[in-house]
Amino acid sequence: MNFEYSEKEENFRLEVKEWLSKTLPKSLSEKVKKYQRLTKEDYEIFMKNLSAKGWLAWHWPKEYGGTGWNAIEKHIFEEEIIKASAPRIIPFGVNMLGPVLIEFGSEEQKNYYLPRILNNEDWWAQGYSEPGAGSDLASLKTTAIDKGDHYIVNGQKTWTTLGHHADKIFCLVKTDLNAKPQLGISFLLIDMDSPGIKVKPIVTLDGEHEVNEVWFTDVKVPKKNIVGKENEGWTYAKYLLTFERTGIAGVPYSKSALNHLKIVSKKSLKNGKPLIDDPVFSSEIAELEIDLLAMEIFNLRTVNAAAEGKAPGMESSLLKIKGTLVRQKTTELLRKALGPQALPYLPEQFDEGWNEMPIGPDYAGPIAKQYFNMRKISIYGGSNEIQKNIVAKASFGL
Amino acid sequence: MDFSLSEERKMLKETVARFFESNYKNINKRSENVYLPEGFCKTFWKDSAELGIISALVSPEFGGLGGDGDDISIIFELIGKSLCVEPFLASGVLSSTVLSSVSKINIDLINEVVEGNLLIAFAHTEMNNRYEDSFIETNASLRGRKWCLNGTKSFVINGDTANKVIVSARIDGNVNDKAGIGLFLVDNNQITNRSYNTIDGYRAAELIFDNSNAELIAKDNEALSCIIKANSAGALALSSEALGIMETCFNLTLDYLKTRNQFGKTIGSFQSIQHRMVDMMLEIEQVKSAVMLASSTYQSDAKTRDKNISAAKNLVGRVGKLVAEETIQLHGGIAMTWEYSASHYAKRLIMIDHLMGDSDYHRDRFKLLSVS
Repeated sequence: MNFEYSEKEENFRLEVKEWLSKTLPKSLSEKVKKYQRLTKEDYEIFMKNLSAKGWLAWHWPKEYGGTGWNAIEKHIFEEEIIKASAPRIIPFGVNMLGPVLIEFGSEEQKNYYLPRILNNEDWWAQGYSEPGAGSDLASLKTTAIDKGDHYIVNGQKTWTTLGHHADKIFCLVKTDLNAKPQLGISFLLIDMDSPGIKVKPIVTLDGEHEVNEVWFTDVKVPKKNIVGKENEGWTYAKYLLTFERTGIAGVPYSKSALNHLKIVSKKSLKNGKPLIDDPVFSSEIAELEIDLLAMEIFNLRTVNAAAEGKAPGMESSLLKIKGTLVRQKTTELLRKALGPQALPYLPEQFDEGWNEMPIGPDYAGPIAKQYFNMRKISIYGGSNEIQKNIVAKASFGL
Repeated sequence: MDFSLSEERKMLKETVARFFESNYKNINKRSENVYLPEGFCKTFWKDSAELGIISALVSPEFGGLGGDGDDISIIFELIGKSLCVEPFLASGVLSSTVLSSVSKINIDLINEVVEGNLLIAFAHTEMNNRYEDSFIETNASLRGRKWCLNGTKSFVINGDTANKVIVSARIDGNVNDKAGIGLFLVDNNQITNRSYNTIDGYRAAELIFDNSNAELIAKDNEALSCIIKANSAGALALSSEALGIMETCFNLTLDYLKTRNQFGKTIGSFQSIQHRMVDMMLEIEQVKSAVMLASSTYQSDAKTRDKNISAAKNLVGRVGKLVAEETIQLHGGIAMTWEYSASHYAKRLIMIDHLMGDSDYHRDRFKLLSVS
């Protein structure tokens, strides 16, 4: 057994690293590091650079303009972009819808939408959750009524991430109102500028606007916008949810947070001495580091199996659970490390160009905010409790 | 990256698994072995040696057939699954590690150990030394040209039946000095012992040295680095054993959840129980990952080796407690009985945290090693 990367893989890592150091604007990575608010343009600059390099569609096969990378290459790529503090690749079009269209879309849909995703012409949003359909997604109530050559859509989607930037949204809608949940659901592509659509911001507990409500009132959607077959959308939705996610554990995020935690704990004082010298606090850090070390190997085992063509099953769910817990723990210890310095809340501090004196050290500002923000990761993408149900059902035979 | 075992190792694993399964079919067999005069089955030990299991723990450089981290890990995971009590740790890992790490190699002695003819125990722990490498009160002094030892070594696994014992003793300096330590080989006729069973089914002894004649085999830095290496090898072996136990505990519990009926249905149908099983499964995967990392870097430099072994042993301590306690709790009353195997697995799993450094000890060592 060995856990070292091959020379070819190391060279690939170097290539990604060098490309990032040349093309990622310093001002942008600085913003990401300081947790400043990113504009639509900030995301787009990075994604446009990626598409020029041919690296945007990193989950797609080559024939559709993707990279054709295996799981290990994807893992390396993802590690490097996170290490470089690049803005995240907005996944809705390129990582979520793209693979679904490639698998289930019509030729016409593929020819129209895929190049537009590759060229960043459309900003996609995901229309899954509803006020009454969270973990129980299949109980969704948004309807699409057949009117001959078009549907009329009514209902409400929620938690729509960056929906206020979106040009288009892919939605799960009910097309057979009498069918049981899971049956009678279709996968529909909708223009955000269609009459009858209203986007309302949801401000989250950290004071930020990232997610939205999207309301549909008698929205007319052409029939050619349905993906695959009517009433079979649940299959496509599940395909999307289980689509190979090498980064589900968020290992590189936790690694950089752990480094940050060590730095902050050296600067924070307790009885006039660095907090990191406090045996109790440093023990918490050490056990977190050990959990992360083990999880990194667990993740690599899964990535490696995926590269060999074995579809990850319950491993994805287990990694999602552990990954979110470890990452949340990093934010908890960062918050604790600050002591009372965690209290000040200056929302304007996260605007570009803010150059007043911070209260306390400059790294303190985002930490408590980030702790609260990160509570979401064990809720979204199938809550940790849902992941446990999935594992139990799939592998226990109880 | 290569996460698979080589063909030779796969074969080794299959052979050893079959051998353990046929000799340790059920928990009654183990209980019999525990109460034999030696605290283990001599025939089984000899058969293990003939099959090459001890040899697989020793490097070819010293007449063995293995000795890599992966070899230790494979064999001890299987030891965990069968819960066997033969002296693989004492003689096969701890003593062999010392004997093959000193500068003056006695190849004949190692051969005798590998062939199972000679049992050598490793006596480092004392009543007042928790898990430390250099806290040693047992005293060594020169009488003319001969070394002699005075003091007591405690909790020496298989220390009663061992033909010889490797003993750490202080030649010079204060009780916790890193310098001034010696490692000695002592014949059992030089030792008075008081032997007893441990709560997890092993045989141990208090060894009393009263002007006992001893042969010096390493001193100062060399002795200390041998002690550290032996303790790390032992911690890797025990971590692997714990992994095997955890996997068995999980399977026993899952089987039981499918058969035990309450409120008119199997208790495994309750979500609160399913979620706890997922928590266990997840943490066992974490342990497996940490053990894989530790075994694959066992041949690296001492710092990498010890850091990864400490990570594994710390995690084993934490997860071991979870798995042992959950195994008992989810079974209910049946796992409180001596008759049912799960209770013995749970006991061994908990007590592994009391050997070769507990989770606190290894967390602190990991802290020191991961700083720079």
